[in-house]
Amino acid sequence: MGALGRPGASRYAQSMDAKKKAATAWLRQQSAQGRKAASGAIVFGLLGTLFGVIQAAAAADLLRALIVRDDQPVLLAAIIFGIAAVLRGLMMMGADAAGFAAGAAGRRRLRSETLNRLLSIGPSLLRQGHSAHLAGIVVDRIEALDGFFARWIPAALMAILAPVMIVVVAAIADPVSALILAACGIFVPFAQAIAGIGAGLAARSQLAAMMRLESRFLDRIRGIGTIVLAGRAEDEAAALRVAADELRVRTMRVLRTAFLSSTALDLAAAVALIGIAIQQGDLILHAAHGAEMAAQSGRALFLLLLVPEMFAPLRAFALAYQDRGAGIAAAEALIVLPEGETDPRFVAEPPAAAPVTVAAHGISVAFEDVHLTWDKARGPALDGVSFRLPAGGAVILAGASGAGKSTVIEILLGFVRPDSGRVLLNGMDMTSIVPQALARLTAWIGQKPVIFATTIGDNIRFAKPEASATELAEAVRLASMDSVIAELPDGLDTMVGEGGFGLSGGQVQRIAIARAFLKNAPLLLLDEPTAHLDPATEAEVLESLKRLAVGRTVIMASHSTQAHMLTGRRLNMAAGRLLLGDAQKGVA
Amino acid sequence: MQDILPIFRLWKARTGWMAAGIILSLLAVLAGLLMMALAGRLTAAAVVAGVIAAPVLLRVTGVARVVLRYAERVVTHEATFRALADVRVWFFSGIAQRLAGGLGLARSGDVLSRAVSDVESLDGLYSRILVPLAGAVLVLPVLVVVLALHSAILALVVGVLFAVSAFLLPVLAARATAAAGERLAVNLSNLRVTVLDAITGLREVRVFGAEGRMLAAVQAREANLLAAQRDVAKSARLAQLASFLLAQAAILSVLVGLGAPAPAAVAAAFLTIAAFETVGGLPRAGALAGYAMAGARRVRATATAPLTSADLDEPQPLPRDSTLRFEGVRFRWQAARTPVLDGLTMEIPSGSRVAILGPSGSGKSTLAQLALRLVQPEEGRILLGGVDITELKATELRSRIALLSQATHLFDDTIRANLLLARPDADERALWAALDAAQIGDMVRALPEKLDTWVGEGGYRFSGGQGRRMALARVLLSPALVVILDEPCAGLDMETEQAFLSTLNDLGRGRTFVLIAHRLLGVEKLDRIWRLSGHHAVAATA
Repeated sequence: MGALGRPGASRYAQSMDAKKKAATAWLRQQSAQGRKAASGAIVFGLLGTLFGVIQAAAAADLLRALIVRDDQPVLLAAIIFGIAAVLRGLMMMGADAAGFAAGAAGRRRLRSETLNRLLSIGPSLLRQGHSAHLAGIVVDRIEALDGFFARWIPAALMAILAPVMIVVVAAIADPVSALILAACGIFVPFAQAIAGIGAGLAARSQLAAMMRLESRFLDRIRGIGTIVLAGRAEDEAAALRVAADELRVRTMRVLRTAFLSSTALDLAAAVALIGIAIQQGDLILHAAHGAEMAAQSGRALFLLLLVPEMFAPLRAFALAYQDRGAGIAAAEALIVLPEGETDPRFVAEPPAAAPVTVAAHGISVAFEDVHLTWDKARGPALDGVSFRLPAGGAVILAGASGAGKSTVIEILLGFVRPDSGRVLLNGMDMTSIVPQALARLTAWIGQKPVIFATTIGDNIRFAKPEASATELAEAVRLASMDSVIAELPDGLDTMVGEGGFGLSGGQVQRIAIARAFLKNAPLLLLDEPTAHLDPATEAEVLESLKRLAVGRTVIMASHSTQAHMLTGRRLNMAAGRLLLGDAQKGVA
Repeated sequence: MQDILPIFRLWKARTGWMAAGIILSLLAVLAGLLMMALAGRLTAAAVVAGVIAAPVLLRVTGVARVVLRYAERVVTHEATFRALADVRVWFFSGIAQRLAGGLGLARSGDVLSRAVSDVESLDGLYSRILVPLAGAVLVLPVLVVVLALHSAILALVVGVLFAVSAFLLPVLAARATAAAGERLAVNLSNLRVTVLDAITGLREVRVFGAEGRMLAAVQAREANLLAAQRDVAKSARLAQLASFLLAQAAILSVLVGLGAPAPAAVAAAFLTIAAFETVGGLPRAGALAGYAMAGARRVRATATAPLTSADLDEPQPLPRDSTLRFEGVRFRWQAARTPVLDGLTMEIPSGSRVAILGPSGSGKSTLAQLALRLVQPEEGRILLGGVDITELKATELRSRIALLSQATHLFDDTIRANLLLARPDADERALWAALDAAQIGDMVRALPEKLDTWVGEGGYRFSGGQGRRMALARVLLSPALVVILDEPCAGLDMETEQAFLSTLNDLGRGRTFVLIAHRLLGVEKLDRIWRLSGHHAVAATA
């Protein structure tokens, strides 16, 4: 299992520039929203710097007294120092708390927005990317955005406001030293910008590598049994080491550049400190007499103590620059998502016209010359399919794997839209039905129903969480699950694993049938519901399905062996077409 | 602490990188102390003595500090990433030994969270705790000695303040966040599980109109996570405040308590400021250590869970003969449930073709899991070539037996890579032969990218039947001498099924084929048929 890249990755590269622009615009919009939330952190931060300056003044006074040994009282300075220290500590707490709140609010908002978008694009997303990748965006990318809201936005403003405040204070004490401070201070964002460009580029490729590592991990965890039984656990561990090394190399590339900006900052701070020390030392040496020298030395110490105050917000800025990188990377991951939406087939938004709902009883279905191609290289999945099915009727789509049966079902489920042609439900174009209304109309049983890692009861109740115990028991009975449940010590409260661990294939299908009974929708779509079952179980499951089909419109995709078991009109499919004869009968 | 020890043991291999990081950090701390002390002395000396002393040394220490800090950052991060990669690989090997039979009731999202986030939480242990602690151990005596030159009491007071800030506060902070850290790790995992449920179940979510419910569930998990993070942040903040106030108290004591000579006193004051700066991050790091401990606990719990069937210390060598024999085997999935198999005795001779038939739930699939030591019989034993399989090395046993089960996984990779999993050195011809035998060669040949076609998550880009045949091709490609096919024809139509079973008749003589099925089509050429009924096997005629 060598290559980590996915096909189509290059497709994204083409639109790199457009994507970058979109990401920048998105970030700007987020910054505007984030700044309001971060204003508390900024106010606390500035007050903290102010108390820091007061502390520096008090400390300088105390030091001066130590050096010059004049008789001025030091008690006042000591008290001021102490009070300023306490206040400053509290301001730091406040800034930290405000930053946390801003980060939490930003994450909460974006996570809901992102998940909402994923849910509204729907199942077609799974054709484009690994579920771990998508989940990684919702969980980890959004978590990584915490720093963007909590640290980067306040730090970016503080890095301008606080140094300006300090330079002004320094200028009052000594203009030349203020100039040294200002010059060294300006050097920092300058160096930051140069280092930042490289770091930004590297940060993106680093995040891409991290997402790949995560997807790889989940895929290998899900298939861990297959790997171990193939005797490849050690090879996989080695491959994992290679992937982790790749991630490390990329991350270090980001950090080496990012650290350079911190180093530039250290350098600027050292230059400022040394410059002021030498310049002030010189001034003191040339001071005329004792009193002037005392005053001068107090100033000198004050200016020296301002240096760390000056560079602290710049340091925070340099550290938060990585958070900005995470912000850009997350923005790009989020920007890529709606690419599905630019493909008109996947649009799930309600149509411009007033949303239409269809009466929930008795659904007729009609396909009119429907074409759909998933992947151009593999040819059309549906190539001009037309048929009509009255309300309460049943159709069996028969044909080999890949004939297009599942595509018919996926269109009816609203997972995908035809490239051309129309699909009518009760004579109404499907595109004019809002997804929620469509969801109410349909029940679906697929080849591999998703079983969640929870109890059997909760798995069935997924179809209708508000279902009463009686309704649940009735659905279980109708799906012929009652005897199975009765044998389990914990009954409906028996825990099952992901993918149905603890259940047989037949039992998994029965859970799906029970879900469909519970939901009680007028249009029943069955996609090879008994594909993995042995004939005895299959016959039993089909018995339950027959019960379920009563009074509903049914479309069942099935390969030939099962097709006769359900009464209904049979349409044979091959290569995306209805076979001749059927097609004519179909448009009856 | 016992949770962190296996991880530290793992990091022994990284001693070189870690030691280098610590040494660079210590040098940088020393240069920083010296620079601050010199800057203070310079100013004071100018006042008192009228000379500018040591500007050259000041510049040297200034530059040295900058360079050393850069090197320290690069090396400590390099060391951290290498150490975390070690933990991830160790974790993977650990679960590989324990989850050979699949995830069972474990959630893949939770295991992923342990592998990703919980391992990540360990990243501060070295660079934010061990490295500054080493610095603190170095700084404390320097600080105390320098101050003691001025005043013994002052040295004592500042020394105690420093020790509290560097050593006691981080421990207290870690204790305070232990519970919240555990909640943070668990809630992050819960969030991941819920988000993964919503996304892997996108189809179910859409069909049952569960979008709103899923969103609400994710928001609820997120609220729990944020609450835990808020608690950890609050403790970290308090620890930070305490550390800041201790530093300020120390600086104030020095400023008020120092006496002559002035230049040395000012230098000592500056030194104190710099000394406290080196440990300023420790209490906050201590607060985060509560989370790291929870992470370590979760990583360890999964990676070192008891093995269901550990290898013997001195396993038997793999016998040449591949005859599989079940002797009086009794097995049940749960103690409260009735046995699936009871008193089962059955022999599958080496190189034979055997079918095991039985209705759904008769324990057919359990036989394969027993043979591969994925589960243990309650009674009886299973022999391979006359040797009890519990006396063999599990990896060797599994190299002899290949299994196609209902749970066989297709990886999100190319067809080629999925096939090569079974036999990494297989050539192109062997791959096609296996695909043809599985009746899917023509379909793959028609794909524009052929063997390099991506199969998608769990084989999503192909239909269920096509994916199943790819998994079948993979098992046929395997060099194992015993091949167990558990319902290889599920999901196939009758014609494909017949074609496959006919091909099977001509496949590799000398290998054992065990066909687990619910019925026979009549085209199979078999040496023996076993029928499972009433929890044991009955020989049937071939």
